[in-house]
Amino acid sequence: MRFLARRLLHAGFLLAAVSVLCFLFTDLAPGSFFDGMKLNPQISPETVAALKAQYGVGKPLPLRYVLWVKSVFTGEWGFSFAYDSPVRELLLPRARNTLLLTGTATALAWLIAVPLGVWMAYRPGRWDDRLGMGATSLLLSVPELALVLALLCFAVRTHAFPVGGMTSANDEQLGLLARCQDLLTHMAIPAITLVLANLPLLVRHVRSSMIEVLDAPFIHAARGHGMAPARVLIGYALPAAANPLISLFGFSLGGLLGGSLLVEAVTGWPGLGPLLLEATMSRDLYIVVGAVMVSTFFMVGGNLIADALLIAFDPRVRTD
Amino acid sequence: MRRLAWVVLWVVIAGLQSLASSAPQPLRPGEEVQTSDNPIGRYGGNLVVAQRSEPKTLNPVTAADAPSREVIGRLMADLIHINRASQQTEPALAKSWTVSHDGRVFTLKLRRGLRFSDGQPFNADDVVFSFRVYLDDKIHSPQRDLLIVGGKPIEVAKVDAYTVRFTLAQPYAAAERIFDSLAMMPRHLLEKPYQSGSFAQTWPVGVVPAEVAGLGPFRLKSYVAGQRIVLERNPYYWRADRSKNRLPYLDELTFIFVGNEDAQALRFQAGDTDIISRVSAENYALLMKDAAARGYELFDLGPALEYNFLLFNLNDLKPPTADKLKPQQVWFADARFRQAVSAAVDREAIVRLVYAGRGAPLWGNVSPSNRLWVDQSLPHPPRSLDRARDLLRSAGFSWRDGGQLVDAQGRPVEFSIITSSSNTQRSKMATIAQDDLSQLGMNVHVVPLEFRAVLDRVFETYDYEVAVMGLGGGDADPNPEMNVWLSSGSTHLWHLGEVKPATDWEAQLDQRMQRQMVELQYRRRKNLYAQAQEIIAQELPFVFLGTPDILVGAKKSVANFKPAVLEPSVLWNIDQLYFLPGAAGAMDGQR
Amino acid sequence: MPGPWKIRTALGVLLLLHLAILFAGFVAPYAPASQNRGLPFVPPMRLHFRDAQGHLRLRPSVCQPELNAGTFYEYSELCTTEYPVQFFVSGPEYKIAAVLSSHTHLFGVEIPAHIFLLGSDNYGRDLFSRILYGGQISLAAGLLATAISLSLGTLLGAVSGFYGKWIDESFMRFAELFVVLPWLYFLLAVRAFLPLNINPMRAFFLVVAVIGTIGWARPARLVRGIVLSAKTRKYVLASRGFGASDGYILRRHVLPHTYGVLLTQAALLVPQYVIAEVTLSFFGLGLSEPLPSWGNLLAALQQYNVLVSYWWMFAPALALVVFSFGYLLVADELQQRLQSASL
Repeated sequence: MRFLARRLLHAGFLLAAVSVLCFLFTDLAPGSFFDGMKLNPQISPETVAALKAQYGVGKPLPLRYVLWVKSVFTGEWGFSFAYDSPVRELLLPRARNTLLLTGTATALAWLIAVPLGVWMAYRPGRWDDRLGMGATSLLLSVPELALVLALLCFAVRTHAFPVGGMTSANDEQLGLLARCQDLLTHMAIPAITLVLANLPLLVRHVRSSMIEVLDAPFIHAARGHGMAPARVLIGYALPAAANPLISLFGFSLGGLLGGSLLVEAVTGWPGLGPLLLEATMSRDLYIVVGAVMVSTFFMVGGNLIADALLIAFDPRVRTD
Repeated sequence: MRRLAWVVLWVVIAGLQSLASSAPQPLRPGEEVQTSDNPIGRYGGNLVVAQRSEPKTLNPVTAADAPSREVIGRLMADLIHINRASQQTEPALAKSWTVSHDGRVFTLKLRRGLRFSDGQPFNADDVVFSFRVYLDDKIHSPQRDLLIVGGKPIEVAKVDAYTVRFTLAQPYAAAERIFDSLAMMPRHLLEKPYQSGSFAQTWPVGVVPAEVAGLGPFRLKSYVAGQRIVLERNPYYWRADRSKNRLPYLDELTFIFVGNEDAQALRFQAGDTDIISRVSAENYALLMKDAAARGYELFDLGPALEYNFLLFNLNDLKPPTADKLKPQQVWFADARFRQAVSAAVDREAIVRLVYAGRGAPLWGNVSPSNRLWVDQSLPHPPRSLDRARDLLRSAGFSWRDGGQLVDAQGRPVEFSIITSSSNTQRSKMATIAQDDLSQLGMNVHVVPLEFRAVLDRVFETYDYEVAVMGLGGGDADPNPEMNVWLSSGSTHLWHLGEVKPATDWEAQLDQRMQRQMVELQYRRRKNLYAQAQEIIAQELPFVFLGTPDILVGAKKSVANFKPAVLEPSVLWNIDQLYFLPGAAGAMDGQR
Repeated sequence: MPGPWKIRTALGVLLLLHLAILFAGFVAPYAPASQNRGLPFVPPMRLHFRDAQGHLRLRPSVCQPELNAGTFYEYSELCTTEYPVQFFVSGPEYKIAAVLSSHTHLFGVEIPAHIFLLGSDNYGRDLFSRILYGGQISLAAGLLATAISLSLGTLLGAVSGFYGKWIDESFMRFAELFVVLPWLYFLLAVRAFLPLNINPMRAFFLVVAVIGTIGWARPARLVRGIVLSAKTRKYVLASRGFGASDGYILRRHVLPHTYGVLLTQAALLVPQYVIAEVTLSFFGLGLSEPLPSWGNLLAALQQYNVLVSYWWMFAPALALVVFSFGYLLVADELQQRLQSASL
């Protein structure tokens, strides 16, 4: 319990540190939100300067930070220049959409990776292992962007899946089951891309951990005693190999909000990705800071869970 | 008594229903509807169009980004409108107007009997209120500067319930064009927020539809964050066709947000959207292949009004930037150097490789499609490395043995071209220019930077040598562009912050531009502007490269589709579009 | 192919490819920046082994592409004149290892013909040449970033896991901080602050080094996890009892457990960092024109029409796959050897 409390305290410090550094970083990059207007011959520089002053862009960094912290406590989470609205209202619905997508994709990826990795580790060097390794190499080498574009191309040609978006335009008129189906077909392409992008790494790590463990004496002993291979694999080898996998799982959890940026942007999935991308390019600072803080929250949470699981599963760590 | 109660209830419900439903209201006597001269259509259908990013606000006063303005333009109407097809002004909410002799006073007569989309009446009070908000110097609307003529804001006075008088501080050519896209807003909904000082936050994109009202062909129906915004017909819209059918024909208009140009093309190809605009040349070729099979048509409308160019840094610099860029600025300051660069650039390759042939080369700032203003007598010299070399020689440059170009002091000519990395077309132009200039012996680096970093260097730090940029395309009339050409202008990119013209030719250019700004007669104005174009084409503060064609497309089932070169090319006549019988559009049965 | 032949083939192929890339100037017929504006997006040229009479020849020849009138970038072969491929021809000058210069190229055809083995890009530049030259830069960048990531990660992860307690806490918190920050802004700032006339290659490698530095967190976490459990093993305790120093224990007993993970990571990170270039180019941080790298060659595929119409532009991805595959095979083999050695 004390351990957990200490961890929570550290998490709090981390969030604070991230917020400060985030502010510093976003300040570093040249240009501000209203600079885009300068290129328009019909807007005078006085208007641009006045807008900047109105939104507090020119204020000193520490002052802006304090004002931002205040707005976090009042529930606004900062103010967007572009949307003229509190950041919280912009982030929450989109974060929900992203989690829907990445949660499904991550769960699927792990559900496929673990059995696949174990299977491949059980028969290293045989044709199915080599095929698996080849396939993962291939997938690792293809940039995510090309992958999602290829899938979109496929969807267009075969009409098998809708091309982009989260729901059809007329979804208010559909019944519940039809809406679920609609959502699933729209999720197919981005989810498949994410699974294909994350799968190879997971499979490889599961496989390499398992191979190491399967060489251990106690496994040989268990086999020698006539234990069924499945029981050996799942009951004994997998838990022993779990150590790096749990860290990886923590990363997966932590990356739920941040890992799908590009895929969302290309397929038009209305999550944090397109919002963050546009805010980054247009210097809508408080959206960026808000999104980074929410991602940090997930990252910290993921690591906490990973550490807790590590302690729970690996007795060797507990003796520290 | 109870029966009466039921009847009253019935009437109230029916009345509410008719208010709520967006079926077109029958024309009322006394309502001065504008008759539109289009082919008669039929009611029905939902048109779907894609946007590259989502609208940020529905507030006409604060909206600065293109997607917001695209949606707002369908919800609102203006007093005098520029017909995008003819590029001339025509009456809109103002049915007629008179101009005083000196061209400074405009008296506009409004149409009577018009109502906002929520049924409330429209009159001069709304006009006066709208202008008060636009001109409010605490709100800092991006449109406020449009209304400042001769250094003073335009004066607005109500003459009577349907007449408004506008007074300008000095005569201004094409003053009527100022009124285009200045939305007339409902005083009954917006006065309170304005008085309480929260105007800038009203009408965010997620606003409750009942709180929004306008005079445009559509009104807000619903918004789903990150996905789409749906508009429905405005039952009180003030235009009708010749058979007295109230426009628009379409029941609904849906904007879906897709993220980028490729996705836009993809959705159109898949049949998710009904019309598409600003297609890139490569996607155009791709879409052409499927056109017959998928039932849509593509149109090439000819060159756009924008111009892309190489910008030379002729700003007054302070040390240490001044010392760093000293040699480069000496070269750039010589007009013959700029002319040599212009002679060496392969514009034909730019059109062929960057625009896939769908574009036009430019030697001046006015695109060939701007028939009213382009100076036809300007020379279009073909690419000639010999002429470039002659120009360089006469400017004191020479070549070393390895082919490297050096100036009179023996310094090798070397500089960088910055370009926005997100704009692939301008990056490609930079690459082509780099290769062309290397044939003259110049050592040129292309430095792609993020867009805002480019802006920062061009407008703030002046720490750059050459940049590829693009301007123009807003309107065919020269006046909106004045800040580029006047030495005191805020977008006088090659030499910002000039107090008075730095060179003789800039002084001459100033004079021509200022005179044409107040010249009310078209012929004389054209003459002055042509002289200005000649100065620009001779002195080349920008080396002009090219302009893309406007490429659009629509499903064959969409009728009355008349795309125009001016933005919004495909939506400007949205109130006249309809679906042909037997075709239902993207919404039904496409999967 | 069981046993040593598999690894030998993989090593052989990798060696061949590395040599080809090292001697890119020799193997490639053209300089990477030479444009042929009349021939954009030419598909890969077919090598004809039969002459006009249908006889089989040893020396292949190519036909020249001709633009179909009225189309953009659609070509058909014009075989009226066949140009035989010549070997060891004289061509544009190049430098080997920036020291020796030479004019001889492995193969080429007579001017005015061109030989585009893998087709041409938007400006008519030979893709085959650009892939070879691009490989030099990309591999160097990938190796650089991976080396930085792994060394930093191992160092910090091992120290953190070994010494535990507050060192571990602070390092791991630091790692979490690293992973979560919006590094894109930092990179944009770094790029924006670099002087304009810096050598574009130096600018690029600087950005790559920063990315490598940023990426230490994941290897560190993995190494830490392993060190944490390894240091509690019995033989470690025994070593301590015998008076072994921390450094000895780390080096001899603990770190060897990480080699497997590090190798896997290395073989994965090198291609990953090369691909990261594509994303960098997306944000304007990639290698600038006209220098090629596999990342910015693949960035052209981001345009949907290129992806769909000009399939040969995928060739750099193919090169990448071959390399990754080779690296991974070698890494797997090494890992197996290490496993059996440590038992």
